[in-house]
Amino acid sequence: MANKVDVAVIGAGPAGLAAAIAAREQGAEKVLIIERAEQLGGLLPQCIHNGFGLEYFERDMTGPEYEKAFVERAMGLGVETQLETMVIDLDGERGITAVSRKHGYMKFKPGAVVLAMGCRERSRGAVGIPGTRPAGVLTAGTCQRFVNIEGYMPGSRYVVLGSGDIGMIMARRLTLEGAKVEAVVEIMPWPGGLIRNEVQCLHDFGIPLLLEHTVSFVHGEKRVEGVSVCRVDAERRPIGGSERFIPCDCLLISAGLIPENELSRRAGVELDPVTGGPVVDESRQTSVPGVFAGGNVVQVHDLVDWVSREAELAGRSAAAFADKGRLKPAGGVKVVPGESIRYVVPHTISGREDVSLHMRVTRPGLKATVKVGGVASKRFRSVRPSEMIVIDLKGDALKEAGTGGELTVDCRMKEGD
Amino acid sequence: MEARETVICIGCPLGCRVTVLQDKKGNVTGFKGADCKQGQKYVLDELKNPVRTLTATVRTGDEGYPLLPVRTSRPVLKVLMRPIMRETAKVTARPPVKAGDVIVKNVAKSRADIIATADWPGPGGEG
Amino acid sequence: MPFHETEVLIIGAGVLGAATARELSRYKVDVTVVEKGVDVGWGITKANVGVVCQGRDTLEFRPEYHRTRLLWRALPLMEPLCRELEVPFKKVGAYMMVRDQVLKEKLDKLAKRTESLGLGSDKYYPFTELREREPYISPEIKGGLHDPEIAVVHPVYLTQALMENAVSNGVNLMLETEVTGIQAGHSEFTVQTDHGEIKARYVINAAGEWVDRIAAMVNADDFVLFPIKGYVGVLDRNCSQLAGSLLAVLPEEPGDMNIVVPTVEGNLLFGIQLQINRRHDRSTTEHMARLALANARKLIPEISEKDVINSFCGFLMFRNFEIGWHECEVAMSARVPRFVNMTIGYPGVSASPGAALEVVEIMQADGLKLEPDPKFNPHRKDIPDFSVLTEKERKALVRKDPRYGHVVCRCETVTEGEIVEAVRRGATTLDGVKFRVRPGTGRCQGGFCGPRVSRIIARELGIPETEVTKAGGGSPQVPLRTKQLLEEGGGDG
Repeated sequence: MANKVDVAVIGAGPAGLAAAIAAREQGAEKVLIIERAEQLGGLLPQCIHNGFGLEYFERDMTGPEYEKAFVERAMGLGVETQLETMVIDLDGERGITAVSRKHGYMKFKPGAVVLAMGCRERSRGAVGIPGTRPAGVLTAGTCQRFVNIEGYMPGSRYVVLGSGDIGMIMARRLTLEGAKVEAVVEIMPWPGGLIRNEVQCLHDFGIPLLLEHTVSFVHGEKRVEGVSVCRVDAERRPIGGSERFIPCDCLLISAGLIPENELSRRAGVELDPVTGGPVVDESRQTSVPGVFAGGNVVQVHDLVDWVSREAELAGRSAAAFADKGRLKPAGGVKVVPGESIRYVVPHTISGREDVSLHMRVTRPGLKATVKVGGVASKRFRSVRPSEMIVIDLKGDALKEAGTGGELTVDCRMKEGD
Repeated sequence: MEARETVICIGCPLGCRVTVLQDKKGNVTGFKGADCKQGQKYVLDELKNPVRTLTATVRTGDEGYPLLPVRTSRPVLKVLMRPIMRETAKVTARPPVKAGDVIVKNVAKSRADIIATADWPGPGGEG
Repeated sequence: MPFHETEVLIIGAGVLGAATARELSRYKVDVTVVEKGVDVGWGITKANVGVVCQGRDTLEFRPEYHRTRLLWRALPLMEPLCRELEVPFKKVGAYMMVRDQVLKEKLDKLAKRTESLGLGSDKYYPFTELREREPYISPEIKGGLHDPEIAVVHPVYLTQALMENAVSNGVNLMLETEVTGIQAGHSEFTVQTDHGEIKARYVINAAGEWVDRIAAMVNADDFVLFPIKGYVGVLDRNCSQLAGSLLAVLPEEPGDMNIVVPTVEGNLLFGIQLQINRRHDRSTTEHMARLALANARKLIPEISEKDVINSFCGFLMFRNFEIGWHECEVAMSARVPRFVNMTIGYPGVSASPGAALEVVEIMQADGLKLEPDPKFNPHRKDIPDFSVLTEKERKALVRKDPRYGHVVCRCETVTEGEIVEAVRRGATTLDGVKFRVRPGTGRCQGGFCGPRVSRIIARELGIPETEVTKAGGGSPQVPLRTKQLLEEGGGDG
């Protein structure tokens, strides 16, 4: 098939759709999205709740509505798609090997590649929960797919481990579907998701949020019969004697998301051990020329709107690269996370163009000031690791400041939360 | 005697616990814990009129696409969420459906409709 | 009225039962295997890490043991057997390592013993040389003794292959059939199961964890066993470079065994701090997990908690201390003629081909006439593994059957074709598919493919998805339909 593909986008979730649209709008002629699932949209079709699009469309939309808006734009622009197609290899020269029932085994080399594989959930094994191994332990996202798409419920009485957004949203969803959610258990002293979800998914339904607790044991031989829940100390270790048994037939895990970078690794893309995603410059180019990345594959975003925005940037850059390398070389200035900053994306900037820095703090705090070298600073009434911070830098300011090859980002804050 | 009610503000990551002070007639006399005007407005709205957009699914009877995602056409009172869920569970959507189509009118007498949030052309259809 | 009659009844379809069934399938003799589980190899076989070894460089090794003689017979058979059955077999070699000089002397003694027994000459490598071969080992290691013969197999794959081959050669396998009682008659046994009675001339008791309980049903419990468990962690395949061989530190106390071992699939396993256990308890504890990780990091400091993608409980049945932990029981009962007990403890997988041969000989010595079956076919074709095929093979396979072009599990590159074939060969559950073709064993642990595998199983078996189980009766994955709870009046609370 396609040896004339200008931009190949791997993944048809919100990132892939936005990247493909932006690449077409930027002038790439043939843009192809390759998607492993049966439909476009990635996880959006199963995210039937609202809260999407507030930033991007300034409207409160559900996942399917947000998806539809992007799918219609992509189709209108003639973006091509191949569903139920798995990219099984990406080499260091943009060579793609993919396979599908319909198209068989194919190899091609596009002008540029956008990685838009999104992220996966941490599993029970990765979280390391002791106990037996019965049916009824699954991630919140897998449960969401069963309940909202496939039409099945994995149980009627739940405990959710981890207060990530999907976990809290599923707690509400399952309660509304007539199930009982006994508790949401969070190992940290603060919730893992957005305040909005804590209030509207848990408080609204009287679902207890147990902070500084964990599931210390899974009981049951064939099906889950219950879990032991206990308090944890400052090192997040279970406190002996604090255990109590909660009967349930299902344990949902919502203990974090990990960018899905199997293909990036195969291609030799350099990864940031903190974000779990590729090291990128401000155009979202990775360490492999012509391979770009955007969305949750780079960093796990709180809002899909930001996934779309970041992927658009990657898509535009990919189109420019595919057009005879018409992409300005970026990089030059390293952006370094400093005090109380866990990571900053992008990892390098040109120091000449306007750029948005995305970052997360290491701990919650009040009256925080984020300083970007001597170039910019921004105050926040409060900061939390679960809420991404975005700081826009002006190219002019950067040029004036003369950064000396490195920009350190620090956050000073009062303890809090 | 003053009445007090506490609401968690969702306006920003701070998540302030705001206590609203009221006199006997129910007039708001002050706030505790909210430093910003937007927060006070949110808290008042949440106290007087706690509404949510409810999202759910309805059956289709189509094995390949068993559930159609839906939402209420406008926010509904929190207390109506469960009655709406029960009523919606009894409904089977009929194809073809376009996002925005009304599936249940005035669901559970909430004055909101249940509307589709995705297209469903019917069994064997595209999409 | 007996429900079923057979010459030889094997109780248990673990690796020992399967190996014996397959060995007997060479002859013109009626063989029936009953297994209480829904699939083969899911008892203590599944809880084995799959190391094929004599254990000659360990303190517990005793040349005079019956178990050692079985191993000597079995080990040369293992690789050809795996080749016949197309079961992956990987000779990885092992280093038994020490951290201090005192233990180094013990190691020297072990090496001398190995040599004097004519078992080989295991070479000692001091740290600097060891490090060239295994670059990630801890600098605290002083050196290690190399046994190049040690190999790994997947115990469940081996069991499935043995049983598939046995069945194709005429053995009758009855799954989900639990033995509830046995009576010894003059010329035959009457065995009660939850599916009726079976009359058999010989009974081979290979019931694994329950071997002593089964023996006790007919007063043939000539031995005492106790259960032992340990924690085994599974590392992401991205860590496969960390160890190319089995790495172990010479234990200072019995049971203090900690290893890092590559699997045939390229993951690393670590752990196995053995402790006495309650029967049937396959749970792991936070303490076990933490200790295993800490011990593994003493071998390879780069092993990290974040690379642990799964864990399971290693489980063994050991003999009592008086006889020796590592002695086996493969013998006709002294009290009950024609009733043969088989239990090996560790390493049961390694010894299984030898034990099977010996059981056949025991029955022959007792007068069982075994005439070779000319129709016996020792070969079994494995399910194609798309992930390891060459490009040419992949193309050909997809052309032949497009379902092999549909990759369902991203992490392990498992196709729909493989899943369908696993079901065709007897998998009826999610674990049954997982333990044949691996979907859901990778880093996402089924997050993406779980619902899809479940749908394929339901489709292939023609059952509703609510009846698809994780591991047999009572373990449905999704027992309810969405909205069912609302209809039943839930959600009022």
